[in-house]
Amino acid sequence: MKALRIAAIIAIPFVLAALAIGFFLFERQGGFAPYRVPDDNGRSVASDTATLQRGEYLARIGDCAACHTAPGGAAYAGGRGFATGWGMIYSSNLSSDAQHGIGAWSRAEFAHAMRHGVSRRGPLYPVFPYEHFATLADADIDAIFAWLRRVPANANVPPPNRLDFPASRRSALVLWRMLYYRPEAQAPAAASEDRGRYLVDGLGHCAMCHSTREAGGALAVDGYLAGGRIPGSGWYAPPLDAKQLQRYSVEQLATYLRSGASDHGAAYGPMAEVVYRSLQALTGDDALAMARYLKSVPARPRRDAPFTLLPEPAQRSIAASGAEVYKRNCADCHGKDGEGKSGEYPALRDAVATTAPDPINAVRMVLYGGFPAATAGNPLPHSMPPFVQQLGPAEIAAVTNYVRENFGGQRSYLTAADVEAMHGIVLD
Amino acid sequence: MLRRLALLIPLLALAAFARAQEPDDFGTRLAACAACHGKHGEGVRGAEYYPHLAGKPAGYLFEQLKGFREGRRVSTPMAWYVRFADDAFLQRIAEYYAALPPRTRSADTGAAQLTEERRRVAQNLVEHGDPAHDVPACSACHGANLAGLEPGVPALLGLPIDYVIAQVGAWREGVRNGAPPDCMHDVAGRIPADDIRAIAVYLSQQSNVDGLRPAPAGSFVPPKACGSLPHAEAAK
Repeated sequence: MKALRIAAIIAIPFVLAALAIGFFLFERQGGFAPYRVPDDNGRSVASDTATLQRGEYLARIGDCAACHTAPGGAAYAGGRGFATGWGMIYSSNLSSDAQHGIGAWSRAEFAHAMRHGVSRRGPLYPVFPYEHFATLADADIDAIFAWLRRVPANANVPPPNRLDFPASRRSALVLWRMLYYRPEAQAPAAASEDRGRYLVDGLGHCAMCHSTREAGGALAVDGYLAGGRIPGSGWYAPPLDAKQLQRYSVEQLATYLRSGASDHGAAYGPMAEVVYRSLQALTGDDALAMARYLKSVPARPRRDAPFTLLPEPAQRSIAASGAEVYKRNCADCHGKDGEGKSGEYPALRDAVATTAPDPINAVRMVLYGGFPAATAGNPLPHSMPPFVQQLGPAEIAAVTNYVRENFGGQRSYLTAADVEAMHGIVLD
Repeated sequence: MLRRLALLIPLLALAAFARAQEPDDFGTRLAACAACHGKHGEGVRGAEYYPHLAGKPAGYLFEQLKGFREGRRVSTPMAWYVRFADDAFLQRIAEYYAALPPRTRSADTGAAQLTEERRRVAQNLVEHGDPAHDVPACSACHGANLAGLEPGVPALLGLPIDYVIAQVGAWREGVRNGAPPDCMHDVAGRIPADDIRAIAVYLSQQSNVDGLRPAPAGSFVPPKACGSLPHAEAAK
């Protein structure tokens, strides 16, 4: 009996501390407010032509349709799958269907979902970038909503998510938000003064791929636009800052955003999709504003590359064979010294694939090649051929090591086994 | 006479200029295609699977490229290459390969052989079909010389065995879908399963030594309506 009382006395401070921490974390993610999904506040949305056109433009720059459209499916009808560390999540139907889409939503509910990531379905999974959309101006959210109201109703029911416990329970998202969601970290006031920052941090949600992530899938506090492996896609997104982008003038970077190609490199994989579906629609002024802001982002100290492949250094003989493979297969287009051919083949010297701490983009390009997006600014793109059939994994490892060491100052020491582990085309 | 010449000179200059404007390096943009389909769309020696593209009707090639992009035709590598290509670019690619000289050699069939009896069965199906099972002859749509028909029917000459078998299977299973009405889905479903391989081997051995091009549009009317052919409208 006495022992129990002593145990209780010892336990009480711990329980109180746990409660206090829980209270603090719950308050930090916004308290109860995010979970009160508003009813119709009676505010109607303008639907004049100018508003609809603006809404269409903003939805395009936000790339809403890319995620909310299944391959081969109707636009905005949802159902595209996203592979996460916890399983598959399928995007929702945004068409004007009252039952299966958002046709019955009020403007207030839509704005609440955009700002807080909670809808009538409960807390939304953070694959939906509400952390970024929270910074949008009211007028912009209204225009997007007005445009979505005009999307033809579609009764498509996306497949149910296939997630592991505890992520499979929406209530677990409250815990996730307590640990990782910090609404006060957003600074809408500062963003609205700078159109470029407003687009990059808001609709553009560039940080979803280009920021460093921590365990738990959260964006690292000091990892803003600092680069990292994109979860689920098998591609590395480079940092976006003054140092990384110094090769580009503001005008060149704006052109790259709209065309998907430059003499410093072309967009492949996930970025090609962003250019194709979204950024090629940017107005010239908006592209310049984004480029100007991105080139002003201070470089974060590079973290140690988390991607160490093999401890032992490459064999000398492998390095020599890399030079030989390069001369035979790559130099015709990319030049003897990786200098490229302006307007046709990008330089490899100082390119993202050669300078990145993570070698996966380089290996992917050598294995499977690909086409940059066809855009108004680059309507007939030059493709990179695949080498998976001509070269063995040891040769691909050797040429990747050669290119990265000589043109990018990165030693990746890939082996044939590393290359084999990266085999496979990832479409989503 | 002099005045006529004077008129002619600027015209000639204009024509030369127009030619210079047309990028004749278009093929160099397609290095990714060449890896599997050959530098001139003639196919790659020793490849067991990839079909040649040269000389096939542009309308057919364009439909296939769009199908890969939109998932009507399933191929992960092809989806990877065309997923961010717009119609205009795909049309240019289709026209580029359609204009190249057709491949003249037969497929690399290796050791695949048919017994005389199997060969007769295959040839009979290709040339006469199987009226009892409502299977039309290949030649009824692909031409008596199997060189195809503009704008939507490809040649069947010199295709790899495994490629033909895979396509018949894909049509039967709905993994490859043509524009409706999908004639090849109907036909492939009626070919006796035992004869698919024999037909594929027989077709792979047919070469196009004369470099025949697809027959002009409307030069004959296929018995079945296909979405990719103009006469399908009437049949719908």
